Amino acid sequence: MGNEGQGIKGRGLINRLGATRYLVSRVPQALIVAGPGNAKFDLAATGDRPQHFYIWNSLGLASSVGLGLALAQPKQQVIVLDGDGGTLMNPGALVTIARMAPSNLLHIVWDNGQYQLTGGQPTATATVTDLVAMGRGAGLQHVAAVTTMSEFEVGLETWLTEPGPWLVVAKIDESSASARPPKDPVWIKLRFMETVNK
Amino acid sequence: MTWTDIVFERLKANCLEVVCHVPDSVLAPLITRAEADPFFTVVPLTREEEGIGVLTGAYLGGRRGLLMMQVSGLGNSVNGLASLAIPYQIPFLMFISQRGELGEFNAAQIAMGRAARPVLDALDIQHFTLRRVDEVAILTDGAIKTAYTAQRPVALFLSTEMVGWKKEG
Repeated sequence: MGNEGQGIKGRGLINRLGATRYLVSRVPQALIVAGPGNAKFDLAATGDRPQHFYIWNSLGLASSVGLGLALAQPKQQVIVLDGDGGTLMNPGALVTIARMAPSNLLHIVWDNGQYQLTGGQPTATATVTDLVAMGRGAGLQHVAAVTTMSEFEVGLETWLTEPGPWLVVAKIDESSASARPPKDPVWIKLRFMETVNK
Repeated sequence: MTWTDIVFERLKANCLEVVCHVPDSVLAPLITRAEADPFFTVVPLTREEEGIGVLTGAYLGGRRGLLMMQVSGLGNSVNGLASLAIPYQIPFLMFISQRGELGEFNAAQIAMGRAARPVLDALDIQHFTLRRVDEVAILTDGAIKTAYTAQRPVALFLSTEMVGWKKEG
């Protein structure tokens, strides 16, 4: 399952695109909110679908959107895909998620220790900051860290079956992402809502 | 009825179930009532900007709501409004207790209190101000209706004329 409870600094071995593909194939019915940057580009690369909510700006708000969606749709699996930059911009969201504790929320942080899209400037997770410890300190009861694809695959079975909310810090490699999702926010919103509220 | 009673009733009548807030003394009685009523899902925030995200997710999931905050919190929410609520066309009510106008004791409240309406104007977010108890029902219903028609947030300010101000200072 990975290094649950142990913080790790720096990058890992997981390929974000490969892990996203695996996730989407494992839970095709999940509602997925992807934050700005490569998290959402790799989600688009797996194949654009209406149940992807791509966030084009608002760094930090992906997990808050996921929280609201999880509360509104308690029977649906809600997955948030975000980067370390986005998660660090809204650390209070970890607190609010812990407090509201929706069991259907899985928040995956693709952690490469950098703001990849703007030129690779390091974030604090490259050196001093431990998102696992932050999650536990915020009050989250289900937190895990993984650094290899096999840890991710094994862990996913638990994260999807044991009630959450889950925070998973997935240490990824330096691969960037080239796919692009649809750009029209209203289109993204309307088709997502049509899918969710069917 | 007090303004709190009227607002509480209008929120229920308009199905604004998700109540995001950072508390303030003026809003406290409304928060307490919402917490005691299972109709509402109350989400206490660490920072007001989170509420823009939570209400976006809730709306995508088919539920309406509001963000209750002091006007200082509007300052904390600006990019969420500009980059998420507006482009994605997410409607909700912002219920904002005014500071920095009549009766203010705290110098640090003045600038955001005065900048609030120009900031909303710059974002083209409509806003209305509750000054008298007898207009609370109409303005609340009207603001909510317009928000959902426009698919855009609408703000209601609670003036200190109506709710009073802190005696200190």
